[in-house]
Amino acid sequence: MPGDDLRHVDWNVFARTERAYLKRYRGETNSLLTVLLDASNSMAYASHPVTKMDYARFIAASLFYLAIHKQRDAAGLIVFDDEVRHSVRHSTRSGQLQRLLAALESAEPRARTRLEAPLEHFHGLLRRRGIVVVLSDFYASPQAIVRAIEPLRFRGNEVVLFHILDPAELHPRIGGSAVLEDLESATRFAVTAEYAEQEYRERITGHIEALKSGARGAGLAYQLLVTDQPLDAALREYLTLRRARN
Amino acid sequence: MGFLAPGFLLGALAVALPLYLHLLRRQGSPPQPFSSLMFFEPREQSAMRRRRLRYWLLLALRLAVVLLLAAAFAEPYIPRLTAGAAPDKLMVLVIDRSLSMRAGSRLAQAKREALAVLARKRSGDSAQVLTLGSQVSALTQATRDPSALRAAVQSVEPSDSHGSFGALAAAMRSIAATARTPIELHLFSDLKRTSMPPSFAEMALPPQVTLVLHPLAAAAEPNWAVESVAVPGEVWNPRATRVRAVIAGYATPAARKTVSLLINGRTVATQQVQVPASGRAAVEFTSLEVPHGLSRCAVRIDSSDALPADDEYRFAVERSDPKRGLFIHQSSDERSPLYFGTALASAAPAAFQLEKLPVDRAASLDPQGYAFVVLSDVASLPDTLADRLSEYVRRGGGILISLGTAAAQQRAVPLFGGELHGTHTYSREAQRFASVGVADSTYPSVGQPMQWDGVRFFFAANVDVSGSRVALRLSDGVPLLAERALGEGRVVLFASGFDNLTNDLPLHPVFVAFVDRTIRYLTGTEARSSSSTVDEFVALRAAREQGVGVEVVDPQGRRALSLASAASAQWLQLAQAGFYELRLANGRRDLIAANPDRLESDLTPIPPEVLALWRGGAGANAAADAAATPQQGEPAARSLWWYAMVLLLVAALAESALGSRYLGTLREHP
Repeated sequence: MPGDDLRHVDWNVFARTERAYLKRYRGETNSLLTVLLDASNSMAYASHPVTKMDYARFIAASLFYLAIHKQRDAAGLIVFDDEVRHSVRHSTRSGQLQRLLAALESAEPRARTRLEAPLEHFHGLLRRRGIVVVLSDFYASPQAIVRAIEPLRFRGNEVVLFHILDPAELHPRIGGSAVLEDLESATRFAVTAEYAEQEYRERITGHIEALKSGARGAGLAYQLLVTDQPLDAALREYLTLRRARN
Repeated sequence: MGFLAPGFLLGALAVALPLYLHLLRRQGSPPQPFSSLMFFEPREQSAMRRRRLRYWLLLALRLAVVLLLAAAFAEPYIPRLTAGAAPDKLMVLVIDRSLSMRAGSRLAQAKREALAVLARKRSGDSAQVLTLGSQVSALTQATRDPSALRAAVQSVEPSDSHGSFGALAAAMRSIAATARTPIELHLFSDLKRTSMPPSFAEMALPPQVTLVLHPLAAAAEPNWAVESVAVPGEVWNPRATRVRAVIAGYATPAARKTVSLLINGRTVATQQVQVPASGRAAVEFTSLEVPHGLSRCAVRIDSSDALPADDEYRFAVERSDPKRGLFIHQSSDERSPLYFGTALASAAPAAFQLEKLPVDRAASLDPQGYAFVVLSDVASLPDTLADRLSEYVRRGGGILISLGTAAAQQRAVPLFGGELHGTHTYSREAQRFASVGVADSTYPSVGQPMQWDGVRFFFAANVDVSGSRVALRLSDGVPLLAERALGEGRVVLFASGFDNLTNDLPLHPVFVAFVDRTIRYLTGTEARSSSSTVDEFVALRAAREQGVGVEVVDPQGRRALSLASAASAQWLQLAQAGFYELRLANGRRDLIAANPDRLESDLTPIPPEVLALWRGGAGANAAADAAATPQQGEPAARSLWWYAMVLLLVAALAESALGSRYLGTLREHP
């Protein structure tokens, strides 16, 4: 296929058949899992005991376990907010899972979200194509999100957007009127229950739909995950992608 | 506006509490963290505006509650001072309805003037209508209702009572003690001098009472009256009964009057009498031929004076046959029958027929036909006679026993039963005589104890009177007069004689009264009065006659007692002039003649100087009294306390309602 490395063409087969076949090494059946974890302040929100950050950690830990112990895939982690805060290079060596879990545990929400930051770092980390899982609440313009993540797809990666939201972010309950404070910008203003029940829901729903359609239009997988739901939806999505890739 | 207790205004500082709480509340609830406000927009909704408005309204109501509470405790008032205005007062209208107000058109004039005063009454003043007779009667309570007051005035009717300004003053003292406002007393009366109490101090009015007099008579009007009639209430011998009447003139010229005697509505005798100017003249009718039983009699004068109600004097008499009495004495005793018989005849002429019988001729006597029996110094009583007398007493008869020197020789007193413990012959002792030491004035026979002063007893028997009622004792304690009940009757013992030897009692006036009272007591007959005065009280029953119904028919022919009161009423007040028919609790029928108090006949008014003294002012004449000018307005405080309390209540209720809605809204949207 165009773009394949000529060094990997099996010239003996080509001589016999005049068809170019690439040599597949055993190592190339294993995939590369990269988790991009959004650790901005908005991920600290919770209307019940499990924060979005905790939920993302659970998903990441589960994916790492599946990748390393079941699939023997190399897994890596990039924790970011408005910049890359921590990264763990892909590896299959023993102790990699522990390193990844330790990095997950130390990741605490802070600052604001800027998706462009990890992508710059990401390009330096990846040597092989794999599966990229982005765990975030995606509080940005859907077009900007897709525009920032879409390039990963053209490098041959399978990109999954796990859109993590709290139930209260989908159906906020505000008594009468209340003053809300943005966890990332610290902006405060008063909102009314009537707005929260009508316009806000329309806007968040529209945002989700726009992100979903934009992601799919860019060839990105999208899954909305609500923190009061079990993790199996996220894991099922990963396994489906993994199987398809094989 | 002022405050009677301004110190409580410091409580208004408590408004700081709701202000502080509301300011804290206004900070609002802490901002709620939210992941991102990307999809929110800050907007001022109308709901927020409404909520803010309710917030400020709630704060205002709470501040109002605190301020009104402080103001109420401080007792706010506004002073009122306008020219010609007088403080609220109680107007008391007293209309004299005594007998003298029947003269001419006095009562009608009084009612007209009272209505005129009511018409001038300020609407803010309350008024009360009273009537004045022998006592003050309230026709209304203090009220501002003009129609009720007018109706009360128009309902006033004349009476036969004697008016008393002493009773009026006492009533005003009672009203003033409960009323908290000045009292303006309007008295509509002919202001007779005879309505004044014996002491002028009894007419004193309380200081808060202003007296306004409305005199209805400028000067004394000439008036003749039958002032009194002297006649016994009981007649046994009509031909021997005399009727003596006194005709009086008040502010009258000398005149010749025709005086008539009426029996049961029929004129039976007429006489002429010359009455001197403002003087009196007596008339005597020498017989009173009344039929047996009760008769309605009257003495009347022909007179065309201003007050005809006192031109007739009514009296009631009862004619009955003389009662038989038996006087048993020793054959040798001629003194005691004489003294006793004479005393009885003097006390009640022809009322009793006393049969005197020596004891030795009384053995076969049956005492049942006698009203009473006297055993005077009987040494011994035949057994048959004693038995008959004992039966006579048990059946309700009465016996009087006297113990002279002969009877005192017995061991025991027959019928009475007391043992004789000897005799006292005081004439042989150092003191020579004994006198009455202890007298029970409540005993019917005794009378006034002082009447027994000077009576000397030379002999007395000492009888065991245990179990008896002792009415008299001698100075050495020896019982002199005692009574013992025997069956339905009674036995009265006198421990000395009636012979003027054992004592000198027959020589004293008390002897006649003693004999009269004792015999009437033994026979159950009381001295009957021929007439009474209006407003007097008549006894309807004795203490032991409770529960027995009585009947009273008033001069109008109406029953004066209800069924309920007929069984329990103790007394009857004679409210009208005329004849009252009674059936008493003891079954006896009676007739009572009630006459107006003759003090009402003297129409001479109170001198002006005395009236001025009563009013407390000087130099004011009657016209000035009737047209008394209103008092100059004085500062008066109109309390605003009630207004403050009403507003406080309204604010508290509104705060509760609005606060509940406010809190409920918060609970719906936590």
